[in-house]
Amino acid sequence: MSVEKSRRSFLRDAAFALGGVAVGAGLGYIAAGGGQAPTTQTVTKTVTQTSTQAAEKKVVAGFVYVGPVSDYGWTHAHDAGRAYAKSVCPWLETKIVESVEEAKVQGAIETLIGQGCNIIFTTSFGFMEGTAEAAQKHPDLYFAHCSGYKSGAAGNAPQNLSAYFAEFYQLYYLNGLAAGAVTETGVLGYVGAVPIPEVIRHINAFVLGAKEAAKARGKDIKVYVQWLNAWFDPEGANKAATSLVENNNADVLAFTEDTPTVLQVAESYQKKGKKVWSFSHYSDMSKEGPNAHLTGQVVNWGPIYVDFVTQVYARSWRSVDIWARVGDYMPYKWANLSNPKVEYDGAVYLAPLNPVIPENVRALIALRWQQMKEMLFEPFTGPIKDMDGNLRLKDGERATHDILWNMDWHVEGVQTPLPK
Amino acid sequence: MDPLTILTTMFILMVQEGSILLIATLGEIFTERSGILNLGVEGLMCFGALSSFVVYYLTGNWITATLAAALAGLALSLIHAFVSITLKANQTVSGLAITILGLGLSSFIGRPLALSRVRIEPLESVRIPVLSDLPVIGPSFFNQNPLVYLSYIMVIILWFILYKTGFGLNLRSVGENPSMADSLGINVFLTRYIATSVGGALCGVSGALLILGYYPSWYDGITAGRGWIAVALVIFSSWNPLYAFFGAYFFGLVGTLNATFQSIGFRVIPTDFFRTLPYLLTIVVLVIFSSTRFRKRKMPASLGKPYTREL
Repeated sequence: MSVEKSRRSFLRDAAFALGGVAVGAGLGYIAAGGGQAPTTQTVTKTVTQTSTQAAEKKVVAGFVYVGPVSDYGWTHAHDAGRAYAKSVCPWLETKIVESVEEAKVQGAIETLIGQGCNIIFTTSFGFMEGTAEAAQKHPDLYFAHCSGYKSGAAGNAPQNLSAYFAEFYQLYYLNGLAAGAVTETGVLGYVGAVPIPEVIRHINAFVLGAKEAAKARGKDIKVYVQWLNAWFDPEGANKAATSLVENNNADVLAFTEDTPTVLQVAESYQKKGKKVWSFSHYSDMSKEGPNAHLTGQVVNWGPIYVDFVTQVYARSWRSVDIWARVGDYMPYKWANLSNPKVEYDGAVYLAPLNPVIPENVRALIALRWQQMKEMLFEPFTGPIKDMDGNLRLKDGERATHDILWNMDWHVEGVQTPLPK
Repeated sequence: MDPLTILTTMFILMVQEGSILLIATLGEIFTERSGILNLGVEGLMCFGALSSFVVYYLTGNWITATLAAALAGLALSLIHAFVSITLKANQTVSGLAITILGLGLSSFIGRPLALSRVRIEPLESVRIPVLSDLPVIGPSFFNQNPLVYLSYIMVIILWFILYKTGFGLNLRSVGENPSMADSLGINVFLTRYIATSVGGALCGVSGALLILGYYPSWYDGITAGRGWIAVALVIFSSWNPLYAFFGAYFFGLVGTLNATFQSIGFRVIPTDFFRTLPYLLTIVVLVIFSSTRFRKRKMPASLGKPYTREL
């Protein structure tokens, strides 16, 4: 792939051929890919570090997974990211520990360190405390924790700990546009894992998108939610999805659950001649529902892992708190001109669009994607009322990171009150 | 939202889940009636699910796939039979080992399938004429895939074998009093081997129904503890295939309460409670049914005891 090739040659050139200043600039550029607006200060610091020290000969990255890589969502996606990083960084070696219980994270980390790892990734919220403690204990090694809030950058952990996460709410908004454009009953269903702010803002963004697309068709949207109180629960997801279709007359099902079950339920309705639609979650599941798959949120951890291991390789580490959104980690988009079929388009991207989505809505989805990438559009822009009619965002007010991060209310259109 | 719709949905979901439990429970009843306790149900189901998934993917034929699941369950349960009948080892330990082996083996063999995201077409429902037009019962019991119908038939067949045939009488007497049975000329070892392997085969078929019927892709943890519920259901149904029918669907019904109550907006009981309910019920059932009086009346008297021929 030309993207990979260009990246590989770029890194090789940057590391060996160019002078220190050029390396610094190049790495600054990679860091800038994180969408965290780079500061001049950072670049300067990078330059001094790289010009005085040679690059590491080899980086050994250790990954601590909460599930097996053969699960269907979360860990599988992380391992695909690891494989991608390995494929584009010839100097990278990787080691993994699977199915680690949250209380045993420190033991897993020590095992990986014993195997010579100089950067450790831990990929579950419950690994956060253990990872922070390990970072404290091993100041000469690097750590990155996924889905938590502790990092040197955030000021609540040592500087050798970074935090990273891929955020989907913008993609849920785009899913909502697709849902609002195809729904016949005007009723949408959502199978939610656990009622925490992350899932709540995904539901809300989905509803806002659906309302925008449905409004253009003169339709009103109602959304019913079923909670599972679990991240992995195919049986519960099957029952929740079936109940939403049968009892609430929903014909589009969005979900947060780690298996393709909800999409499979939609597909089985399609087989019986009933139009029910659903989405991908975490990875492209379009094969699981050849008829029912509308589009969906997909994560590519690859570029994030490349970024971290490159920092270790070039000795340019700085602690960051990454919240990767639409358009982030696309530093090489110029290369795409010669490669129209781009598989890795940033850290989060949309699964293929089903042709059943009308042409004008596909265009709208593309437009909103571009606008969100350039931060010209924010799904949570006022006036937004919650489901009880209280004004939550004033006219023209954009939701801040804090509002999004702590969201504990549903937007208008959701019919199911939040569990207490 | 009309109550009839909600009730029908509940019943459809009840039959899906209940039928999976039913086949495994029937298998375990058949095994335990001969005096062999097989706690490997979860592992047998999982290995059966994987085997049927692979064969269905390769051949596209659900009958072959179901047979493969049965064979897989049979093969794995033969290990248990050898260890507990021939070697006379502790059956609880051996059964647990079968669970661990079944889960581990499936995870190991299934890994490339999970990684390459292989998928299959789930079995299609076959509508039974006339019966499927009945309200509530029709769409739930009589518009399902063929393996669900097989589960109904197996109830009758197993009941018939156990209570109406000479072999069934022998099998039950082996479970009650093997030395007496032996003195009457019944081959205790052979009977127990047959009971254990047929039971294991049924557990495998239950895994086939799970994956071919409702969850048509392979990933770790697909059986999600159903095997343990089946073990409890055996006690709940007093080792009788006919009661197992009601027990399995009762547990199936309990499993639908979370979704149903959320549908009708009944929010007094938190969803967490419903998630634990089947397991809570299992414990309650075990406590009630393990009273000495009940055990004396219903449980095969020699369950879990290895038989050594006295010379």
